This record gives sequence, C-alpha cells and structure tokens, in this order.
Amino acid sequence: MPKFSAMVLSAVLLCGLSAWAGDVTEDPVERQMLDIAKDLRCAVCQNEPVSDSKSDLATDMRAIIREKLEAGESREQIVAYFVERYGNYVLLKPPYQGTGTVLWVMPLLMLVAVGGFAFVYLRSRSRRTLPATPELSEEDKARIRAAREEVDS
Amino acid sequence: MFSDNFSLNLVELGHFSAHLAMVVVLVQGLAPMLAKPLQQPRLAAISVNAAIAAFVLTSIGGLSLIHAFVTSNFSVMLVAQHSNTALPMFYKVAALWGNHEGSLYLWVWILTLFTAMVAWHGRRRYPERLPVILGVQGWLALGFFGLILFLSNPFERLLPVPVDGHDLNPLLQDPGMVIHPPMLYLGYVGFSVPFAFAIAALVTQWKSEVWIGWIRHWALVAWAFLTTGIMLGGWWAYYELGWGGYWAWDPVENASFMPWLLGTALIHSITVQDRRRMLHSWNIFLVITTFSLSLLGTFLVRSGVLSSVHAFAVDPGRGAYILMFMTLVLSVSFGIFLTKGRYQQAQEAITSFLSRESLFVWNNVIFTVACACVLLGTLYPLALEALTAAKITVGAPYFNAVMIPIFLVAILLMAIGPLVPWRKASVERLRQRLLVPGVLALVAASVMWIFFRPIHWTGPVATGLVVLGLGTLFTDLWRSVQVRRSQHQGEGLGRATARTVAANRRHYGGMLVHFGILVIVMGLVGSGLFRSEKSVAMVPGDVLEIGGERLRFDGVRTVQGANYQAVQARVTVLDGGYVVLPERRQYMRQEAPTTESGIHSNLLRDVYVVIAEPVGEKWAMRAFVNPLVQFIWLGGLILIAGVVVSLSDKLSPSRRRTLSRAEGARA
Repeated sequence: MPKFSAMVLSAVLLCGLSAWAGDVTEDPVERQMLDIAKDLRCAVCQNEPVSDSKSDLATDMRAIIREKLEAGESREQIVAYFVERYGNYVLLKPPYQGTGTVLWVMPLLMLVAVGGFAFVYLRSRSRRTLPATPELSEEDKARIRAAREEVDS
Repeated sequence: MFSDNFSLNLVELGHFSAHLAMVVVLVQGLAPMLAKPLQQPRLAAISVNAAIAAFVLTSIGGLSLIHAFVTSNFSVMLVAQHSNTALPMFYKVAALWGNHEGSLYLWVWILTLFTAMVAWHGRRRYPERLPVILGVQGWLALGFFGLILFLSNPFERLLPVPVDGHDLNPLLQDPGMVIHPPMLYLGYVGFSVPFAFAIAALVTQWKSEVWIGWIRHWALVAWAFLTTGIMLGGWWAYYELGWGGYWAWDPVENASFMPWLLGTALIHSITVQDRRRMLHSWNIFLVITTFSLSLLGTFLVRSGVLSSVHAFAVDPGRGAYILMFMTLVLSVSFGIFLTKGRYQQAQEAITSFLSRESLFVWNNVIFTVACACVLLGTLYPLALEALTAAKITVGAPYFNAVMIPIFLVAILLMAIGPLVPWRKASVERLRQRLLVPGVLALVAASVMWIFFRPIHWTGPVATGLVVLGLGTLFTDLWRSVQVRRSQHQGEGLGRATARTVAANRRHYGGMLVHFGILVIVMGLVGSGLFRSEKSVAMVPGDVLEIGGERLRFDGVRTVQGANYQAVQARVTVLDGGYVVLPERRQYMRQEAPTTESGIHSNLLRDVYVVIAEPVGEKWAMRAFVNPLVQFIWLGGLILIAGVVVSLSDKLSPSRRRTLSRAEGARA
C-alpha cells in the first residue's frame, strides 16, 4: 500500500513541521538573480535561458550571479562579466553594435522597402486607365429592371 | 509464434509497399510530362490512378510501422530505439512520429493523402488540369521518398533482436504531443496543394478565375491545420515544459510560424484577386514562397542545423539531401514563375488608397515583413557562424522587441479593414463608424495606463487596439442585423443575427477568425504583462502569497506510473481549496528527471506550480499566476470555428443551382 503509507508520511510531515511553517516570501536577491538570468543563454543548452535550465552550467551561472549580486555588483557588471567569458553568444538579446547591427537595422529597411514597393504598385495601379466599360445592352437593362421590380414588390 | 512471424513479415510488406509507392509517384510525376511528346494525351490520366495507388501503398507502409510499434516488434530499429514494452499504448502509436525517420514518413504519408484528396476532389471539377497538379505533387513525393528510403529508412531492421526497446523522449509523452506533429504536418503539407495548383496554372496558362477559388479553399484548409498545429505546440510547451510560458521563439517554433505568416498574407490577398481581379502574380509568388517556407521548416527541424529539442537528426547526409532538394524545388518553381508568371494581367484599377483592396495590400506588407524578420532572426545566427565563425544568439527578447510593434500595426489594420468598402471609402462615413469604437479604445487604453502604472507601453496600446477591434466587429455585425430586421419584419434578434451570418458565411467566418485573434491577444497581454512568478523553498505547511493567491504546500509523496516513478507534491490553492499536484518524474531508461506542472485553471487565471529539487528539508518550488492564459486556447478554438464557417460557404455549382431553383419556386 504505497499510497496509504505515503499519505501517512505526508500527514506526519505536516503535523511535525507545521510547528515552524508559515508564510514564505521570495528572497529578493533570488528575484534579481532570475531577472538577470532570464536574458542570458545557457551556453550548453538547447535554446534555454539560464533562469529555466536544469543543466549544471546554468546552475553554476545562477550561483555566480547570486554571489556577484551579494557582493554588490550591478546588473551591467554581471552581464559584462559573462559576455567577456562567453562572448555575445550568451546574450539572448543580440547587441545593437557589431555583429548584431544587421538584426536591428534590417527590419526597418525591409519595412521601408516592402512598403515603398506597395506604394509604387498602388499608385501605378490607380493611375492606369482601363478600357471604358461597354454600354449596358438592352438585355442587361431589362434584367436590372426586372430585379428592381422584384425588390420593390 | 505465428503472431511474431506475422509481425516480422508485415514490416517487410510495408517496406516493399513504400518502395513500390516511390515508383508509383515517379509515374505520377512523369505521366503528364510525357503525354505530349509521346502524343498520347490519355497517358496523363495515369497520374490520377497513380495518386490513389500511392496513397494506398504509403498507408500500408505506415500501418505496418504502427503495427510494429503496437506489437513492440523490436526487430525494427525504429521501434527498438523509440518504444518499449512499458510504454502506454497511446504513446506507442504516437512514437511513430516522435523521431526523425518516422516523422518524415508521416510527412510523405500526409502528402500522398492530400494528393489522393485532390485527385478525388478534382475528378469532376477540374479534370483537364488534374494530371498536371498531381504530377507536381508526384515529384514532391518522389523527393521525400528518396530521402526516406535511402537516407533515413524507418523500416531498417535490427539483428539480433533486443529484448526490450529504449524509450520515447518523456517530454513527448503527452497528449498534446500526440496530435501536434500530425496537425503541423497537415498544415505544412497542405500548402503543397496550392503550390501544385500554382505551378499547374503557370505551366498550362490556366485562367485565374477558375483556379483562384480552389486555391483559396485548399490554402484555408492548410492554414487552419497549421494554426491548430502551432496552437497545440504552444499548449504542449505550456503544460509539459514547466517554465510557465507557451512560446519561446525557438527556431523550431519560428520554422512553423514563417509559413503561417505568409499563409495569412495569402488568404487575404487571394480575396483581392477573387473580388477585384488584381495581384495574380503576387498571389502565385506568395503560394510558392509559403510552400518553400514549409520545406525550409522541415529542413531546419529535420536536418539538425538547429540545436533544439526537436532536432533528432545528427546525420549530415540527410541535411545535405533536404537542402539540395529544397534548392531544386525553389529554383524550378521560381524559374517557372519568372518566365511565365505574368501570363495574366490585372484587369481592374485601384480607385482609392482608402479602399478594402488597398488595405489588403498593406496587410500583405505587414505580414511579409513580419515573416522576413522571423526568417532573418532564425537564419542570421546560422549564416554568421558559417561565414565568420562568430556566434550570436537571437532569442525571445529580440523577437518580442521587433515583432510586437509589427503585430500591433496588423491588429490596427484588422480593426479598420472590414469597415472599409471595396473600391472607394467615404472618409465621412468611415469617421462616423470609427467614432464610438475609437473613443472606447482610447478610454480602455487610458484606464490601463493609469491604473496599472508602471506598465510597458505595449499594454495600453494592445488593450486599446483590442477594444477598437471588438468595437468595429460588433458594430459592423449590429448594423447588418438592423438592416436585415428592417427588411424582414417580425424576425427576432437572435434569428436575424443567425440569418445574417448564414447568408454571408465567408465574410462572417473571417470576422469570427478576427474575433478569435482578438481573444488570443487578450490572453497574450494578460499572461505576457501581468504574470507573477516566485521561486522559493518551502517546507510542508508553508504558505506562499503570489498574484493575489495563497498557496499552501502540503507535502510530498511517491507515486508509481506505468513507466516512471515520481515525487508528487500537494499544493492547495487556499481561496477555493483547489489542489494541484506537480510532479517530478524519473522515467525508466532516462537519466534526467522531468517535471509535470500542477495547474489550476479558471477563465481569469492559471495557478501554475512546478516542483524542483529538495534543498535540505525544504523543496524548491516555482509558482506562477498567469492571468488570461485560457483566453489563448479559447481564442484558438474560436478561430478554427471561424475557418470552418468560412469554408462551409463553398457550395458546389450543382447545389447552388438547386438552391436558387428552390428560392425561385418559393417566390
């Protein structure tokens, strides 16, 4: 009866421990650490931020961030430390300069290019004169009249 | 041991069928091409029979593999590597596509399914073009069969036969994962149908008035499946991966998102061609590019160029093959497009920049740029590393920064577009119609900005746009219902609404899709900007306050699953007394433990608890309160319903005639 014994166990745990159990609050340093870790890539993982990864490297990196926070270092200093060790690869948000420039400039350029293309297309289309619509034939007019009468009746 | 022998032989039969299917699709591709030079016009019709035969043969192969999984036939290497006797039956079947070889087989299986469906659908509707369409799909299928049978054969045998198999990746042992890949593939492969139509149209100079309706039909079907697949992927990530989110801008997610973005552009611009006889070449370009991106998605995921949970392949031969195949398909199809693409010219002009057709063009600008940005962010790191050996990461913060503004513009267009009539809009009337929704939107945005300060600027803007969209959507419907009621005296409100919608299902289906998108956006804003998260260590009895909820940790116990052992925590949500049971599972034959989140959902918020490792006497826990996450899944369902409504408008010509005759008789 593993289920039963487990329940007993948890009940015992509950009674035994509730004596000194109470409201827990999150350690503010932990939150600061996770906020920094969120924007760093776990270098050995498959596209995971350091904050979510279970790998040893990420665990170590979180410990380092904590240590440095407790030593009074700022977010910028800590990020700079990891960039120095692992390169820009560690940043989930690529830098604005250097190899990252293209990434930030291209979306705007593409928007301008595609938008400009569309504008030119629309203007050329709207300036085009189409062959005049042929006059309505007697047959068409009769059909329209019939339809009108049907609607009115 | 009759059954064992039977199972052994069945796999060989399946293997043989797959080889035969490859020959059949070759015939299917060749027949329409050879009909003319051989002066045998009836030869082309072989491709129709071949399409059906290829599907039957591929199904025999696929079913024999599923049978091997179900009967745990470990003489098949695929089964030995990805399944075992302890695996629940449900996942034994799904294990077929939980790996590289099997999922490629599923790809080609679905391709032959769609081809057979086209053969059936077109036998009376477009019989003279059908062989060419099927021919194009035959060549595509041939390319994939080549890869499957020569480079990643799922029928590969293993001797001596092992006693038991390895395991299916525990992360994939989830109901969401069972249906996510087939849905996604139905979407990817579904776009091969418009692609085949487009190529056939170019080659045979098919009049666009004829094919546009069919392309719209098939593109909508593919788009609906792709959307479902992507939503299920997010759902799976949310329930299974235990990080409290649903979308990470992972390259694999991007791979499926790119064809979705261009597919969205396509289903809008097709309407312009249908209604205003413009943008023919652009639509063909979009069709070809959308399918190319589906191929690119398959390449990125299956070649192993991306390091991510989805990339099972490590064999560079396969990557090279898919890359070459993709290049071939792209050069041939764009070659045909460039030489023949302008065979049909626009027949109407733009009357005004403020018109439905003009706004559809801007919709296409937005979605094309959005797709290009995702493409850039996904491929740039690969290109940079290949060219300069410099490594860079393009992660979620980048995509959020770039894509969210683009999407906000898209929502603005979506809110205004349906109010703008074709040809030319009256500025005065438009202003009148936008006044009330616009004021409401400003109020909503201001309220958000004032009461939730400090808040990221996207919060108020998105809220305002959602309100604007809802406002225009419902006032538009309201106006139409009023018009109907003035014409049909005595009709109740509900009945009039239903009749209005039923009378123009194509339009209101689209509006329902827009409504679904707005609901999803509400969910994204709620869960994206108002998420609470805490990471703490607790002893049983501890209470954690988070996001207006109080969670009590009651203790842990051990539970035994079919093929895993787990530590299960019991956490009570004190307001309401709901219990959630997050687990930390250790699967047999797997080293790293996995987590099962404990989630309590209601419409307004999810309480999401993950148990991590023990720290002394305490347990490390991560808790989230995610507001409005359920809106995302709900919006997805509404969206799919919208597509169904829109597609149901498709009446066959004969039925349309019958209906109009009935109308006439009644009058």
